[in-house]
Amino acid sequence: MRALYKIALLVVVASVFTACFDKSAPNYQYFPNMYEPISYETYGESSAFNNGKEGQLPAEGSIPRGFTPYEYENSNEGYELAKANLESPLDSASIDLPRAKELYTIYCAICHGDKGDGKGNLVKREKFLGVPNYKDRVITEGSVFHVVTYGLNSMGSHANQLSQEERWQVAHYVLKLRSEL
Amino acid sequence: MSSHYEAPIRKPLIIGDKNYHDVTVDVARPVEGRANKQWWIAFSIALAAFLWGVGCVAYTVGTGIGTWGSNKTVGWAWDITNFVWWVGIGHAGTLISAVLLLFRQKWRMAINRSAEAMTIFSVIQAAMFPVFHMGRPWLAYWVMPIPNQFGSLWVNFNSPLLWDVFAISTYLSVSLVFWWTGLLPDFAMLRDRAITPFTKRVYSILSFGWSGRAKDWQRFEEVSLVLAGLATPLVLSVHTIVSFDFATSVIPGWHTTILPPYFVAGAIFSGFAMVNTLLIIMRKLSHLEAYITIQHIELMNIVIMITGSIVGCAYITELFVAWYSGVEYEQYAFLNRATGPYWWSYLLMMTCNVVSPQVMWFKKIRTSIMASFIISLVVNIGMWFERFVIIVTSLHRDYLPSSWTMFQPTFVDAGFFIGTIGFFFVLFLLYSRSFPVIAQAEVKSIMKTSSETYKRKRDQEHGNDNHSHSENH
Repeated sequence: MRALYKIALLVVVASVFTACFDKSAPNYQYFPNMYEPISYETYGESSAFNNGKEGQLPAEGSIPRGFTPYEYENSNEGYELAKANLESPLDSASIDLPRAKELYTIYCAICHGDKGDGKGNLVKREKFLGVPNYKDRVITEGSVFHVVTYGLNSMGSHANQLSQEERWQVAHYVLKLRSEL
Repeated sequence: MSSHYEAPIRKPLIIGDKNYHDVTVDVARPVEGRANKQWWIAFSIALAAFLWGVGCVAYTVGTGIGTWGSNKTVGWAWDITNFVWWVGIGHAGTLISAVLLLFRQKWRMAINRSAEAMTIFSVIQAAMFPVFHMGRPWLAYWVMPIPNQFGSLWVNFNSPLLWDVFAISTYLSVSLVFWWTGLLPDFAMLRDRAITPFTKRVYSILSFGWSGRAKDWQRFEEVSLVLAGLATPLVLSVHTIVSFDFATSVIPGWHTTILPPYFVAGAIFSGFAMVNTLLIIMRKLSHLEAYITIQHIELMNIVIMITGSIVGCAYITELFVAWYSGVEYEQYAFLNRATGPYWWSYLLMMTCNVVSPQVMWFKKIRTSIMASFIISLVVNIGMWFERFVIIVTSLHRDYLPSSWTMFQPTFVDAGFFIGTIGFFFVLFLLYSRSFPVIAQAEVKSIMKTSSETYKRKRDQEHGNDNHSHSENH
């Protein structure tokens, strides 16, 4: 009987200590000394900036070290020019098809399909239609790079996800897929 | 009487015609009576000092350690000085109750209770410094090897500061148990004499139902002896571990193998001085002159003299080794102590610790209450400066001259120290009015061997005309 009381007491104490935990809110903290950043964090919010975001846009026209601005404009003329003139800066030694395949699988295959036949998962599940087969279009490495950079019609720009070098890798991989179709 | 042999050369430890009942009455009197005005004045002063200390600690914890005078070079100063000082003071209590028990010293019986109380109260003061000198004392529990959610992140057992945690906490708990065990028969005495239901209830709880049966006494004695046997290595190891805080470092002036025994000797030295200070006052105010006799004071003075001489030898050894080592850093450390900007603290330490106990060689001085009282205070001042000198003078000038600096304490440093003194006296004053300050059960056990009455009886029975024992009072 006495043991029972002890168990009951333990349960009561345990529930008192856990009762205040709320799954829908962050838990209580014990002396959060270095939990919150003093410095500005990339995706943080701060009233120091007009839009409240700590990630501010760089000044227009500034060029970071190691970056080459893309000189073709986002228009039909730009597309044609890129298709005709733009060439890959990668030589055969720096083309990394396994990595390019991984990048393609992550960013492209969901719509274009693993084989580039326009039968991506989203198309198969009829979330949307109208993704062309690479074989049906005339594309060059320059046009692929241009489209991945700016997007075309329904496709959005992938310049945020892929660096310039990665886009060139993907462009080479796309041409490889096209040759296999 | 005839069956007992007691050397006639031994002086009585209980003076006056005291019987068992007188001992009870004398010990119970301060507890059963009401506090007088002086007690309240002393208590108020101590409480004010304590509260001021609480304020200073609150300010430190709330604002930061930067409120203290410590700086980047001298990271340890008054905090650790006071810590070591208080721990050292505590050591005499255990020494009196444990070591003197092992050596069967009967004179310890009148003083061991208060000495142990002093131990416990001063270890409590000491224990506050390791906590509040932390930058983040609220994380102090991290020093404990507790299984946790940081992948069971544990402490490193290589640091003497961690050993300090174990040493001090063990020391406090063992001392407390030892003290309380000894208190049981005395609390039972107070329980049995209690007049009001309230005091009856209080001392019933405190005495754990002690009934004084033969079996209880037999086990009581065994426990006391075992605890004394445990407390003796403890008392030596605790201050050794405290000394490791310095001795295991690479700082010239700290890195010495002599520190462990030298710190222990210093601890006994300062602790006995503190016991002397307190008991000289207590015997007067609580009218316990019959139990805490001039002989007790003299014997404590002799211990002070011996340990003071050990400490003096240690100082000379350190100086010799510094010279003999050929290490210029070590040599400079001692040159700096003697002639640097803190020469005055080194001089104070040397004067108080080496010179003052040597006057105890004169019987006239060591049997003078006033002289003993003054010297006991001087010794504690000296021992405070010893720790200050070791800590600050070794730190403020060491390997890189570009890191040389000075240390200047702030009022917060001082306030914390004053607060611990206040807290110590708050506890001690409360103790002296609610606890039996003399282990009456033990004193009664030497009544028939060492009291003046029985010694006189024995002398008369044997026709012994040796009355040398009574010439001093």
